[in-house]
Amino acid sequence: MRIITSPELEMFRDQCRSWLKDNVPREKRPPEGEAMRAFDLAWQKRQYDGGWAGVSWPPEYGGRGLSVLEQLIWHEEYARAGAPPSGAMFVALSHAGPTLIVSGNEAQKARHLPPILKGEENWCQGFSEPGAGSDLASLKCRATIDGDYLVVNGTKIWTSYGHLADWQELLVRTDPDLPRHKGISWVICDMKAPGIDIRPIRAMSGLTHFTQVFYDDVRIPLANVVGGLNNGWRVAMTTLGFERGTGTIAHQIELSATVDKLIAVACELPAASGDGRAIDDQAVAADLAMLRAEVTALRSLTAASVSRGMREAVPGPEGNIVALYFGELSRRVHATALDLLGPRGIERGGHDWPLHYLEAFKWAIGGGTSEIRRNAIGERLLGLPKGPNAR
Amino acid sequence: MIVDLTLSEEQQLIDASVRKLLADRLPVERLREPANHAAAAEHEAWSALAELGLFGLGIPEARGGLGLGAPEEALVARALGLNLVSPAVVAQMLAPHLAEDDGLRAAFIAGEARTAFANAIDAENAHLLDHGGAQQLVLLSGGAALIPRSAAADPSPVEGIDETVSLARVAGAFAAVPRNAEADRASLLLAAYLTGIAQATCDMAVAYAGTREQFGQPIGAFQAIKHQCADMAVCAAAAEAQVFHAAITFGHGVDDAAEVSAARLLAGDAALANARANIQIHGGMGFTAECDAHLFLKRAHLIAVLGSSRRAEQTRLLNGTII
Repeated sequence: MRIITSPELEMFRDQCRSWLKDNVPREKRPPEGEAMRAFDLAWQKRQYDGGWAGVSWPPEYGGRGLSVLEQLIWHEEYARAGAPPSGAMFVALSHAGPTLIVSGNEAQKARHLPPILKGEENWCQGFSEPGAGSDLASLKCRATIDGDYLVVNGTKIWTSYGHLADWQELLVRTDPDLPRHKGISWVICDMKAPGIDIRPIRAMSGLTHFTQVFYDDVRIPLANVVGGLNNGWRVAMTTLGFERGTGTIAHQIELSATVDKLIAVACELPAASGDGRAIDDQAVAADLAMLRAEVTALRSLTAASVSRGMREAVPGPEGNIVALYFGELSRRVHATALDLLGPRGIERGGHDWPLHYLEAFKWAIGGGTSEIRRNAIGERLLGLPKGPNAR
Repeated sequence: MIVDLTLSEEQQLIDASVRKLLADRLPVERLREPANHAAAAEHEAWSALAELGLFGLGIPEARGGLGLGAPEEALVARALGLNLVSPAVVAQMLAPHLAEDDGLRAAFIAGEARTAFANAIDAENAHLLDHGGAQQLVLLSGGAALIPRSAAADPSPVEGIDETVSLARVAGAFAAVPRNAEADRASLLLAAYLTGIAQATCDMAVAYAGTREQFGQPIGAFQAIKHQCADMAVCAAAAEAQVFHAAITFGHGVDDAAEVSAARLLAGDAALANARANIQIHGGMGFTAECDAHLFLKRAHLIAVLGSSRRAEQTRLLNGTII
């Protein structure tokens, strides 16, 4: 337990801050569609040109090759500068890229990592299926070998930006006779390949970020299998580990800022009783104070997770603690906002609290529901026995 | 500010040696024996605690201490909570910070002069906790201060929620004084103690859920129990991360009052929530006095009110700055 600081790190932080100050896009980010994709890729290219893409990625593929400390400082300053979310680049930067760095072969890394950093290509994820959500290992999307190719048939769902992505990290069943965790492969799928049909799904917030993807005899070169045939479960768990680890820094800082904003709103808003400001109401003050305590703890939990990450190459099940805490807290923060705002809270526009409230539900579902995370914490961290029907 | 929340080798060593001493001399089971209540067992182990350096841990070497910091003190306070050690030991860790006289400070560090907490109830009344043998008192009344026994004369014993800690009421001049840095340190260490309770009760519930069988299997296999255990682990981890984060940055230019208040609120809630859940998971056994679960609940209530109220912590946190 110590403060980590050095003149070099402080200088690096100053450089981040000053570059971001001059370069964070001022124009409003389009909320969805091709315009959003173009915005997100252009912003990535700008970071690359400025020398800020892939701070901890290997230099031979266009990264800076710095340590996780510099990466952390970059994430912190990025969020504090109010820089746009990585959006359409998220899967490429936070899942697919890191997975290729750990599990990809030389040719795969050389082909795919540089275009990600340069903002030329983006990725989506193809893990969940209509029949394989929380029970991901039951996935059925089938790939049979035909010469040098895999031939894929089946469907994937909850694929964010599937209609806007160039590539997909795709989990397919390559051997149905092996035990269920063993017969899965992680493959690189070209989203423009013949036989792919993409249908958008409208979320309850009104945004159309999700898609369902259908595969009809889609041919994928065997050379696109990452980490070896039938080894996809292990490769995928690495990816999920990244998502549950340092991937939450930006979200954590954003949620802190939301609570600060909510406190500022409560200082302005007239009290429901008509007497003074909303913050003067002890119940309101108590709610907001507890939210601030919890976002502060989320920051500390994230720091603990990052500290462990500096010592372990691959994140462990502890990441579920941060993700569970974030998901549940996120929903509560936005529910408190609507409660506090009263009649004003149901109006869209401006900060759009209703949109954020509706979107926040996803944090306790996507990437593993709160319930599945509690199972993982109970079984993998605490060592409790598996349930009666678990396989 | 980047902080490393993992323990250094030296910190691991401190943690392990303190835990070993406490497991040997002051295990929770001792409290099943009334003869060990009111810090009786602690008084027997006092010189061993002093020899390990517990009372001078965060005092600079030039002033007779070990020259370590708030993180090491918090680590020790958490271990004290795991074993439900008398709050007088926490008071003794604070006393050298409050002593202005070099001789008195040295006596505290050596464990020769003893202290205990006096906790203000209102401007005229205070509680003394395990005060037997204390020459000076660490008064918590907004700020933290060292007061002589004469300022809290003729205490009358009262029965408290936690029968393992002696409680007395005393009249005196205990009007609230402004918050000071040592009050923040006291609150930080008490928060660390509470995370020890949160962790111990989580461990106890998990151990029971893994062995107690009903319907032909360990009850921990059922999600109703497993998920409660997971929630206990999460709230203990969150409180602990915040306590240690606040300890690392303590005195380094951040808003200590706000950081410590966040730690105290979460640690208090985690200790109480986990102590209650632990009783529930133990079922009928949890309701009996034979099971240690009740000891943690009672101690959590006792520690939670020392120099702290929810309202005051919340106000400090809302008015403060978190980075």
